[in-house]
Amino acid sequence: MSNKFMVGTFLDSASLIKAVLAVRAHNLRIYDVYSPYPIHDLDLAMGLRRTRLPWVTAVAGTLALSFAITFQFYAAVWDWPLNVGGKPDNSALAFVPICFELTVLISGLATFFALLFRAQLYPGKKERLSTPGITNDRFALVLRTDRVHFDSARALNVLEASGADDVQEMEGDL
Amino acid sequence: MSGSAVTAKVAPGHSPKVETQVLPPPQWVDDDVTLSQITDDIARPLEGRPGKGWWICFAFAFAALLNLGGMVTWLIAKGIGIWGLNNSVGWAFDITNFVFWIGIGHAGTLISAILLLFRQQWRTSINRSAEAMTIFAVMCAGLFPAIHMGRPWDAFFIFPYVPNQRGPLWVNFRSPLVWDVVAISTYFTISLVFWFLGMVPDLATLRDRANAGLKKTIFRILSLGWNGSFRTWARYEMVSLILAGLATPLVLSVHSIVSMDFATSLVPGWHTTIFPPYFVAGAIYSGFGMVLTLLIITRQTMHLERYITMRHLDKMAKVTMLTGMIVSYAYATEFFSAWYTGNLYERYHFINRATGPYAWCFYLMVLCNVITPQLLWLKKIRTSVALLFVVSILVNIGMWFERFVIIVVGLHRAFLPSGWGMFYPTVFDVGILIGSFGLFFTCFLLFIRFLPMIAMWEIKGVSEQSAHQAKTAKTDDREDFRDREVAVNV
Amino acid sequence: MKQSSESGGHKRPCHDSKTQLVQIGELAPPVYWKSVEDLRGSTHPTGEFPGGLPSSSAATHAATRRDFLAMAGFTLAAAGLAGCRAPVQNAIPLLVGSDEIVPGVANYYATTCRGCASSCSLLVKQRDGRPIKIEGNAESKLFGGGTCATGQATVLSLYDDARLRGPLWHGQPATWDEVDRHVIDSLNRARQEKRRVVLLSQTINSPSTLAILREWRAGDPQFSHVVYEPVSFSALREANAKSFGRAVIPHYRFDRAQVIVGIEADFLGTWLSPVEFARQYASTRKPEGPRSLHVQIESGLSVTGSNADVRMPVPPSQLGPVAAALLRRVARKAGLEGVPGGAEPAVDGAKLDAIADELWKHHGESLVVSGCNDVGVQTIVNALNASLNNIGWTIDLNQPSLQRGGDDAAMAELVAAMNRGEVHTLVMYGVNPAYDYHEASQFLSGLEKVALSVSLSDRRDETSSHAHAVCPDHHFLEAWGDAEPVESHFSLAQPLIAPLFATRAAQESMLRWVSNLSTGNPAPDYYTYLRDFWRKTMFSRQKTFQDANAFWERSLQDGVVELPLPGQHGVPDRRTDRGGWKSAVRAGLEVREQTPPADADRPYELHFYESVALREGRHANNPWLQELPDPISKVTWGNYAAVSPQLAEKLSLRDGDVVKLTTSRSTVELPAFVQPGQEARTVSVAIGYGRSLVGKAGQGVGVNVYPLTSLAGSTRRFSAALKVEQTGRKQSVASTQSHFSMEGRPIVLETSLDDLQSETSANREGSEALPTLWAERLQGEHAWGMAIDMNACTGCSACVVACQAENNVPVVGKDQVERIRIMHWIRIDRYYTGTADAPESVHQPMMCQHCQNAPCETVCPVLATTTSSEGLNQQVYNRCIGTRYCANNCPYKVRRFNWYNYTENTAFDFNMTSPLGRMVLNPDVVVRSRGVMEKCTMCVQRIQLAKNIALQGKRSLADGDIQTACQQSCPTQAIVFGDLKDPNSRVSQLQRNQRHYQVLDELGVRPNVSYLKKVRTRVKNA
Repeated sequence: MSNKFMVGTFLDSASLIKAVLAVRAHNLRIYDVYSPYPIHDLDLAMGLRRTRLPWVTAVAGTLALSFAITFQFYAAVWDWPLNVGGKPDNSALAFVPICFELTVLISGLATFFALLFRAQLYPGKKERLSTPGITNDRFALVLRTDRVHFDSARALNVLEASGADDVQEMEGDL
Repeated sequence: MSGSAVTAKVAPGHSPKVETQVLPPPQWVDDDVTLSQITDDIARPLEGRPGKGWWICFAFAFAALLNLGGMVTWLIAKGIGIWGLNNSVGWAFDITNFVFWIGIGHAGTLISAILLLFRQQWRTSINRSAEAMTIFAVMCAGLFPAIHMGRPWDAFFIFPYVPNQRGPLWVNFRSPLVWDVVAISTYFTISLVFWFLGMVPDLATLRDRANAGLKKTIFRILSLGWNGSFRTWARYEMVSLILAGLATPLVLSVHSIVSMDFATSLVPGWHTTIFPPYFVAGAIYSGFGMVLTLLIITRQTMHLERYITMRHLDKMAKVTMLTGMIVSYAYATEFFSAWYTGNLYERYHFINRATGPYAWCFYLMVLCNVITPQLLWLKKIRTSVALLFVVSILVNIGMWFERFVIIVVGLHRAFLPSGWGMFYPTVFDVGILIGSFGLFFTCFLLFIRFLPMIAMWEIKGVSEQSAHQAKTAKTDDREDFRDREVAVNV
Repeated sequence: MKQSSESGGHKRPCHDSKTQLVQIGELAPPVYWKSVEDLRGSTHPTGEFPGGLPSSSAATHAATRRDFLAMAGFTLAAAGLAGCRAPVQNAIPLLVGSDEIVPGVANYYATTCRGCASSCSLLVKQRDGRPIKIEGNAESKLFGGGTCATGQATVLSLYDDARLRGPLWHGQPATWDEVDRHVIDSLNRARQEKRRVVLLSQTINSPSTLAILREWRAGDPQFSHVVYEPVSFSALREANAKSFGRAVIPHYRFDRAQVIVGIEADFLGTWLSPVEFARQYASTRKPEGPRSLHVQIESGLSVTGSNADVRMPVPPSQLGPVAAALLRRVARKAGLEGVPGGAEPAVDGAKLDAIADELWKHHGESLVVSGCNDVGVQTIVNALNASLNNIGWTIDLNQPSLQRGGDDAAMAELVAAMNRGEVHTLVMYGVNPAYDYHEASQFLSGLEKVALSVSLSDRRDETSSHAHAVCPDHHFLEAWGDAEPVESHFSLAQPLIAPLFATRAAQESMLRWVSNLSTGNPAPDYYTYLRDFWRKTMFSRQKTFQDANAFWERSLQDGVVELPLPGQHGVPDRRTDRGGWKSAVRAGLEVREQTPPADADRPYELHFYESVALREGRHANNPWLQELPDPISKVTWGNYAAVSPQLAEKLSLRDGDVVKLTTSRSTVELPAFVQPGQEARTVSVAIGYGRSLVGKAGQGVGVNVYPLTSLAGSTRRFSAALKVEQTGRKQSVASTQSHFSMEGRPIVLETSLDDLQSETSANREGSEALPTLWAERLQGEHAWGMAIDMNACTGCSACVVACQAENNVPVVGKDQVERIRIMHWIRIDRYYTGTADAPESVHQPMMCQHCQNAPCETVCPVLATTTSSEGLNQQVYNRCIGTRYCANNCPYKVRRFNWYNYTENTAFDFNMTSPLGRMVLNPDVVVRSRGVMEKCTMCVQRIQLAKNIALQGKRSLADGDIQTACQQSCPTQAIVFGDLKDPNSRVSQLQRNQRHYQVLDELGVRPNVSYLKKVRTRVKNA
């Protein structure tokens, strides 16, 4: 499906933030902001909710840990106990390093893939740029225009007032 | 944290906050550069043809790599008898190289993860190449445990797997070698993920610079369709933070576990509790040495003085000095405890270390790891590229010999004098060591040739910020936003 | 029945299995071992464990672990079978043909060793028609169950590629008939022309062979028999003739001696009958009961010297004077008037006094022996023994030893005669004068003047390559025979395998030629001849058996027979009647020194000795022996010039510096080896090396120093005045132990008799068990352990070769030995204590200690080494990936790594490379591949076997059912293996012994192998 957007491009992060604040002050809903690098506290400015990705890490880590413990115990104690250097079958202390490593490995990978999934990133995905140079030195603030009582004139004013280098209407997908 | 850039906009009924920062913030990029300039500076070398310097280095590195290939083939064909190992000294160059390379790897993770957690902005210009170095170093390290086995084709026995025609025979989870395998592979994976994730935005930049063609396609595949959406940026930063938080204990654990290969044995000179911290410090020490070496080379050859400033080198020199002194302290402690415990074999080992047939290795190690770092007290040396380069080389030599001394001197005169013997390296021992450097530098040279060796987006962040901070007064933005919210809701 | 044969309890005679041997013979060698490869993998373990595997395991707690052990043993055996077992189609005739050959089950047959003339009685393990392991015959009163290193290795010589496949005529392969025709013609012609026919042979103590020679002499009056040994005992025999009127070698009884003085006699290593003497010696050295005092006076440090309580380094030229000085002292004590003063030798007189005191204190039960081939010295020694009236008690002349018969004078006369062209036909049996005669060139020139020279050598060697005809003799494991090492002590020999090649027993050859001489009728084959001979002569001498066949079979089965003496000889027991001893002493006192002392031109002295491994050089092509470390220097693969530390300092020599040794006769260049305990001005060199034509393993290893020996009067001299020069060149000396000091570590513990008595259980150190962090593991029904008595171990190294033979330990060659990669599972560590000039030596057999808390196991990533339910530290080869972590973590450094593929690898061209050489491999032990770790298994295959046998016999294992290879071979029984769970087993008792301790037990590894402290006897001012 294709949507209608209004894209305001900026030359520096400062004016972008100004615009964000202004736009929100005028009760316009921000579709998204695009920038070549993460701007600190922009999330606060946009009033984004904190991401829940850490939970993925926590859950994956817990599972990994319990798996590591059970597996080592199973292999060394239940499945085939062997007399190794006279040590007890359940040499629990010796199992610690592997427990730790597996926890890190699995939770780390889980978090990574969770990010790709959540942010819809995957190899070969066709990039959808709000404006050329967005990955270089441009900043963009994007509003949805195809929504009820969207006052594009007002939006335009706000953006230009807050120092947009250029404002464009665009149709397509972002 | 230093506030972000918002032009002065003090809310009504608000007294200005006290200056949180007295000194002007450090500049991590020389002279004010625009964002596009940064992109150009860093991306251009990848788009142009490499210079003569690069080709010369690459020729040497690749030759060494070919040599490695040949010798490893011969090794697997004939057996590790072609090395100088024997019944008294079962490990020598092989495990020395392994520990050495693993150690090198540590600086990368330290810079990218730990300094990230500590919000050290100077990491931004070096973290990418440092991480790359980590990955290549771990590759070199991983090579040795594989080829040092008597039967490399059975190396998979070391992984617990089913079905398993040897009955339900698992591996020995009490063996530090198994811990090693898990630790190293975890370390490699996490570092790789971290490195790649950090590169995605820059790959997108390159994608957008590239005109249609194979290059663009490749970058498109690699950049995962990144388009700089801030919603993604927010998650992205969170994930980097999490990964950093995971990598930090990981990097400490990896070398601790490597050190347990020795600490858990009963060989005099190996059997000691000091090893984990001692090895970690040594690893960071050698790692920073290698980072210095590499960055000085690339800085000169790729003309990135603007981004890899003397201040960066200075910081790294200081870390090197600190860790170097931790290592020296560990040396001293070892000797003290050997004398203090009065253990017959332990004592003999350390006397033998300092007076035995391998004493020269020991003194070389002391020269490089105890004396050399002391030079870094002098600003003159910390600020001279040439001298730093020399120091960094010495550091690496010293750390290789540290591992050699620990391993070989420990083994060659253990408990029963009847089992004593000397180790003499053969041409294959030396050749494969050189070959591993070939592998490392080949990878690194290809990396700086084809991938952005400095994190553009992070540089941009830092430079913009510092630029603005330079000219704007500080306020607390959060408050500011809240006022806005209120205003909105009214 | 199988059990009995397996356990070696009852050996069976081969007589009725002559047919069966023929059947084995049908498996002609090519077919026999070529098809090994074809049949790889096609194995049926049922043949291996007829009773199945112990099922009782299921009942025990640690079922899985026990099964694992069982499986391990099972797979070892199965894999072994896969590798080496006889093809099935060859096994079928055996199954049909014989009730005593079960494929895969070994039989033991008694026979007699021919490694040297000592003629030890053996019990040889035969598996699928192949002898694969030599063991001592415990029923022999002389030798007990022990063997020596050389004897252990002889089985490999059977499978030597260098052996001739058939007779040669002028160097070309020929048929036996052809060669026989030529020989017989020549013999006839010689008889018609009345020209001399000479049999030049090694020592022959086989009654039947001697009978054949008597027939020969009867048939041809011109026939004469010359016995030649490179190391002859001529002087000893000559001196005995002078002193006691009998030209014999007495039978020495070390077990009866309270004081033993050895003068250059390495009776524990190489002299006369080392296995027998080691056994006797050990019996007198026990700290329990009266312990003998052993004084050794010698120039080079020998195995015997390393075991002595008091050792005096004396240069060869001074041995006579020292002996004389000792004699004077003893004679005075014995109350002989007018003992001349005589010149005192340059040694510590007080020491001599002390020794004389000790000797006299125990006169009548002391023993002085000398290995000098010098009539003078031997006369003095006789005088000493006579004045101490040891004759008849510790020195038995009535029942003399027939173990050495060499006659230097006769040999010299023969060479002269040959050069004069008097000898028409010369038959050479077991001799190699072209190599080991001091005038080899003269011998060869003489040989050219002989009309027909026949060699019975089994290979092309220095001599046989010059002979007109070569009629290769059997290896003794292929041949029938008998021997009489000591008068009336007989030992029979029976074949263990049909001849591998178209060789023929020497006796067979002689019979053909002789019978043709005497009676034209065809000769009986030697087997028949032997049986008839025994029926005629031996049967009549015994009373027990009425039936000659029964007697024969029983004798053959036991292997040893002792018959009453035919009659008294004229030597009265001098302990009762000391008459005439004075004359002997006078004779001794009149002896004037013959050996020329060092002079200005040649200031040093050279001393030749037999090395424990190669002896006089006959076994030079045996890689096991070449790689056997010398018990003292630990040097392998070659001989060297042993120099004292002082001399090394004087000439600034270091190990491996090549020195030029010049005597009046010739010059050789050898690498120097600094040998503590070496007499300051004497250089010792081993004979037996430097073979120029023997086979690929031994050829050109070391330097031949026989040309430096000389004939002094009537006897051959093994010492000379010497000039030593440096060449500046270096040549590696492959020693397996680089460091000889214990660095003050508690590794070999010593104690003295007095301490032992005073020591109470309270103040015993090292006896209390260390606490362990972990709970005791459940154990199976056994806990295998070993105890090694450091006091009994002489360092003879028989166990090393025994282990190598039993466990298929590969030979790796000089280069690998230099790289510290020797594979021996058991090594004998030798440490020195005291000063470098007068060191005391200790020998410590060291193998896997089978720790209960084994450090090697914890570190293995793949569980390739674990502790079995019976306390064995087991290595699983097919699981091992070769990280070598275990070896690094082994405090005893007893693990051995396969750095290369040592089997079927032309780079290591020893026995395991050739299909023939691989026939010696033990099918019960897997051959290890490249890249895996290996080590002592405590002969787990023997343990499994004994358990199966017990299981089939529905009985429980008895102590002693299982003997490890090293234990079995030990002549002094220093090694005891057994079940630690059985409180009455010998090993348990030894672990309760006062001297018991464990090496490095402070590490808490809790080894299952423990040691008994060495006991030293101290003599005041000596």
